[in-house]
Amino acid sequence: MIAWWQILLLTLYAGYEILDELQIYSSLNTPVGAGLVAGIIMGDMGKGLMIGAAMQLMVLGVGTFGGASKIDATTGTVLATAFSVSVSGLSWQAAVSSIAVPVAAIMVQLDVLARFTNTYFAHRIDHFIDEQNYKAIERNFLYGAIPWALSRAIPVFVALAFGRGLVQNIANALNSDWKWLGTGLTVAGAALPAVGFAILLRYLPVKKHIAYLILGFTVTTLFATMFTNIQTLGTGLAAASKGFTTVFNGLPMLAIALLGLGLAILHYKGIPLSKAKSSNASDASQSVEKTSSDANDEGEITDDEL
Amino acid sequence: MTNSKLNYKLTKKDFNQINRRSLFGFQLGWNYERMQNTGYLYTMLPQLRKIYGDKSPELKEMMKTETQFFNTSNFFNTIITGIDLAMQEHEGIESRETVASLKVGLMGPFAAIGDSIFAALIPTIFGALAASMAAEGNPIGVIIWIIANLAICVFRWKQLHFAYEQGTSLVTDMRDRLNALTDSATVLGVFMVGALVATMINIKFAWVPHIGKVTMDIQNNLDMIIPKLLPALLVGFVYWLLGRKKMTSTKAILIVLVLCVVLGGLGIIAKA
Repeated sequence: MIAWWQILLLTLYAGYEILDELQIYSSLNTPVGAGLVAGIIMGDMGKGLMIGAAMQLMVLGVGTFGGASKIDATTGTVLATAFSVSVSGLSWQAAVSSIAVPVAAIMVQLDVLARFTNTYFAHRIDHFIDEQNYKAIERNFLYGAIPWALSRAIPVFVALAFGRGLVQNIANALNSDWKWLGTGLTVAGAALPAVGFAILLRYLPVKKHIAYLILGFTVTTLFATMFTNIQTLGTGLAAASKGFTTVFNGLPMLAIALLGLGLAILHYKGIPLSKAKSSNASDASQSVEKTSSDANDEGEITDDEL
Repeated sequence: MTNSKLNYKLTKKDFNQINRRSLFGFQLGWNYERMQNTGYLYTMLPQLRKIYGDKSPELKEMMKTETQFFNTSNFFNTIITGIDLAMQEHEGIESRETVASLKVGLMGPFAAIGDSIFAALIPTIFGALAASMAAEGNPIGVIIWIIANLAICVFRWKQLHFAYEQGTSLVTDMRDRLNALTDSATVLGVFMVGALVATMINIKFAWVPHIGKVTMDIQNNLDMIIPKLLPALLVGFVYWLLGRKKMTSTKAILIVLVLCVVLGGLGIIAKA
């Protein structure tokens, strides 16, 4: 069951989350942040984090790719976490692909609605500029927060208050007659990060930096295989011999990230631009123009911020 | 007549007010028609009132100028505000046309730089780190990301005064250094994507076809070529898919969802 106070807190968080994203961007607005918050509220932080992680990876590059309204993975994570914890027999992977992703896709429409509503306030502000009514200008600007917050809070409230029975029925079906679909959804949940990575590669200058992509993939896949195999070996040994107590950890991603950071620093030091700048200012400004036009060619950057 | 009124100089209090309004309010009014136009006015309205005086025709004129179409990175908007206010403080209403074209001229480049740094690179690097820790139920990655974002907020707070002091020369200086930094940061970004493909997409071939009496373990054969080949192929496929016309990220997500549900349901691929 979902308690009334859990519904209340999740609804409040949903309203807060979008304002956070628009403003300070604390990262509590991101899918993985939502997983943490919703997981704590629902009393199963681990499950929330796992759902948040899957959704985070799925949308890694989405913020900058195509169009103003992006798939709302944060709201999807909130609902998937709430239902995955409260509905019996719904694994977190199945919750990702059967709840989080569809919810995230549908929420795009409500984002569009919020942006439309704000056009109304923008026109009222035009009107109050003519009247030189400063307080009214500021008030009407701040009213913009209301459609934003409601566009997330209302769907979350409705889904949590009335949707649990439906989700329980779906979960039951996925575990009995529709078992194959349940399996498929679980596999899809594990595969979805691939989309996030591909979107990101579309955005990054992948052709220019292809060497680093190959390095990152190959180094990591080799290390990951080694670490996994050693862990398997360790578990086996520990089972066979009581004297074997060493614990092997998994591959630490931070170490891999530091490898990448080292390469990035090497690359930065190798950029001739900074030398040209110190020796000859006019050269520098030319090369600036050149690099900035290069950057525009490479990235598929749209003017839409969100 | 106009210049006689111009004796207001922005104080530390003004900068703090602009920063507060920018950090906690800049995008609340985002709308389809002119995007961040009202937000831009909102962040600087008290200062415009001080510069021109309430109820003056100049103030009305400038308020109209500042509510024209505007859209830039919300991590860099106060740089433009700072340069804008420095000009108006010196030249008053005379600067109207310069300010208008300055805004149009700067919002594009800053949107591009801001997007690549704050909407793509930082979320990639910290998001990937947070997600890979969260996938094991560990919240520390999220906390690291929050701390990083607080540091970025400090940077967003400082840049206004900096831009106000430096004026337009700042833009060329900054673009120069930022381009080199952005380019190097994309190296880290691309490297991390490679690493993530190798660790975070947990699918494998489950299909074991029987050809005559020979059983073929496809996954084992692939592992001998290189581990994690299937995730790499899937990413390559989606990358190709996204290059097609009329393809959006949402559509791509739904296509992969359906494809994997079918292949998974049929038992061809499975969760690793």
